[in-house]
Amino acid sequence: MSLTRLAIKSLLLRPARTLLTIVSVAASVAVLFSLLSFNSGYQEGLQKQMQQMGVHLMVVPIGCPYEAASLVLEGGEIENYLNESVAEEIAGMEGVAIAAPSLMHAIVRPEDGRTDIYLGVDEKHLELKNWWRLNDGEKPGPGLLSEDDAVLLGWDAALIEKREAIGERIWVPEIESEFSVTGILEPTGTQDDGFFYVPLRTAQEQFGLEGKITAVQVRLTDPSMAAEVADALDARFAGVEIIRMEELLGSMTALMDSARALIFAIVAVVIAISGVGVLNTMLMSVFERTREIGVLRATGAGRLHIFSLVWTETLALTVIGGVTGLGLAAVAARGVEAVIKRFVPMAPQEAMTRFDPHAALICVLAILGVGLVAGIYPSLRAAQIRTIEALRSE
Amino acid sequence: MAIRNLWRSYERGSETVHALAEFDLTVQPGEMVGIVGRSGSGKTTLLNQIGCLDRPTTGQVIIAGTDVTALPERELVAFRRDHIGFIFQLFYLLPTLSVAENVGMPMLFARAHDRERVRAICERVGLADQMTALPGSLDGGDMQRVAIARALVNDPALLLADEPTGRLERQARDEVLDIFDDLRADGLAIVMATHDLEQAARCGRVIELRDGRRLEHAYEDSWPKAHCAT
Repeated sequence: MSLTRLAIKSLLLRPARTLLTIVSVAASVAVLFSLLSFNSGYQEGLQKQMQQMGVHLMVVPIGCPYEAASLVLEGGEIENYLNESVAEEIAGMEGVAIAAPSLMHAIVRPEDGRTDIYLGVDEKHLELKNWWRLNDGEKPGPGLLSEDDAVLLGWDAALIEKREAIGERIWVPEIESEFSVTGILEPTGTQDDGFFYVPLRTAQEQFGLEGKITAVQVRLTDPSMAAEVADALDARFAGVEIIRMEELLGSMTALMDSARALIFAIVAVVIAISGVGVLNTMLMSVFERTREIGVLRATGAGRLHIFSLVWTETLALTVIGGVTGLGLAAVAARGVEAVIKRFVPMAPQEAMTRFDPHAALICVLAILGVGLVAGIYPSLRAAQIRTIEALRSE
Repeated sequence: MAIRNLWRSYERGSETVHALAEFDLTVQPGEMVGIVGRSGSGKTTLLNQIGCLDRPTTGQVIIAGTDVTALPERELVAFRRDHIGFIFQLFYLLPTLSVAENVGMPMLFARAHDRERVRAICERVGLADQMTALPGSLDGGDMQRVAIARALVNDPALLLADEPTGRLERQARDEVLDIFDDLRADGLAIVMATHDLEQAARCGRVIELRDGRRLEHAYEDSWPKAHCAT
């Protein structure tokens, strides 16, 4: 027989209390593991969403881009455009992976209470938005915009236009042109859903803006080089404004840091409660087993043996509770995620709680730490019990 | 085992109480000594001193040539484990451990677990068929056998028994005393505190305590017969 076996057998002496303590530790570890896993998935999800924005820099004509956007939505004319050649030059610059030109134009229909935004794009735009999927699950290929009258509908645009089938025709009286629907995009949850995508060349011709574009969206080979590339663009092109997405990234990172701080505060409270619970259980156990400890001393146990025995019992409690908690968390992950998502900002829609070995390791180490610390005082108390007094106790 | 001028005193308020006073005793291997006396006469205190569970106020306890009163705590624990076996009136078995595990427990603390030794001791006290049983399934006599086996497993030189048959039926009591007779015959020294006069009658020598002091009887060696005769 080993000391560990003796410790476990001692725990079995009071099964109800042992079970309750294990359940409380398991619940704490389950919460801890769920929060850590969620935090990890949350950050991963946000980063993925940021990555899916696909644009690290945006090059627009000089002037306030928000004002320009507002003007477009009201059906006004933007005074400044970029030359199409700018996009080609940007594409050739170091550090640029994709430079996708676009021409935005709005058709306002006050009588219908709607504004249709037409976005002239080329195949580079499809390359930039490589996470787009058509409603049949396929990835949109460059062939979708190869015909002059092609129109690719965002999910919301298709709903507004009440178009469901490929090949349906859309008549646009304002420009007296007809387009043929070549595809409908799956919803992305972004502004992309509301656009009518037409070939860049068509947009330029239809809106009388040959050789002009309103923006170049740039993806970098390395997003961390955004500042350097922006400086290079600024130096190379006059009359352009470079919008870096880093500000947005910074805001989201700050948001993640806040969420992380909140989560770790909860975790600290959970660990503390768990530790106090274990400490209380073991202290009660020591008080109730005073005579048993006296017998152990009388039959050859030293103070160190008693200390080790009680400490091992505490560790066994916390480890069994910890492993049970990890199992619980794995089983109940989806439910916990649904609850947590209500309380954190900008939670990505996809599943974020998954079995994270690092989180599991942190949980195991944390609960071991709790067991080690919570076990010290009861173990010392047990080791200090005087044998003859213990044997006399009731 | 030799005890020389042993005193154990306690302070109770402003008063000093002598639980043991001027106590001398020598026990040879193979001898069983009974300690009798009323409750509070000092029997358990004496056993605690001999068993190294408590330290005397003054005096010496010499066991197997070692003055245990001079040993530091750590060595005292090891000495008690290796040289002294304890038996209690209430058995004090751990209910979740099997018979074999209860018996082998002192070996755990000595880091010398030996299954064969446990089996041999269990066979010796008549528990060979119950080694896997839990204490709760045993009767009082068998539980005391387990306690005896546990006390013997580290092969002690001295066995201390505090009212070992106090909770047993007559037959079980006689069986326990038969085991003691066998152990004594094998050279084990036994010191047994008891209220039971018939039990005391089976000891080779009986010491009577009163208020912590040893009563001098002219018939100490023949005390049981004389006492029982009255």
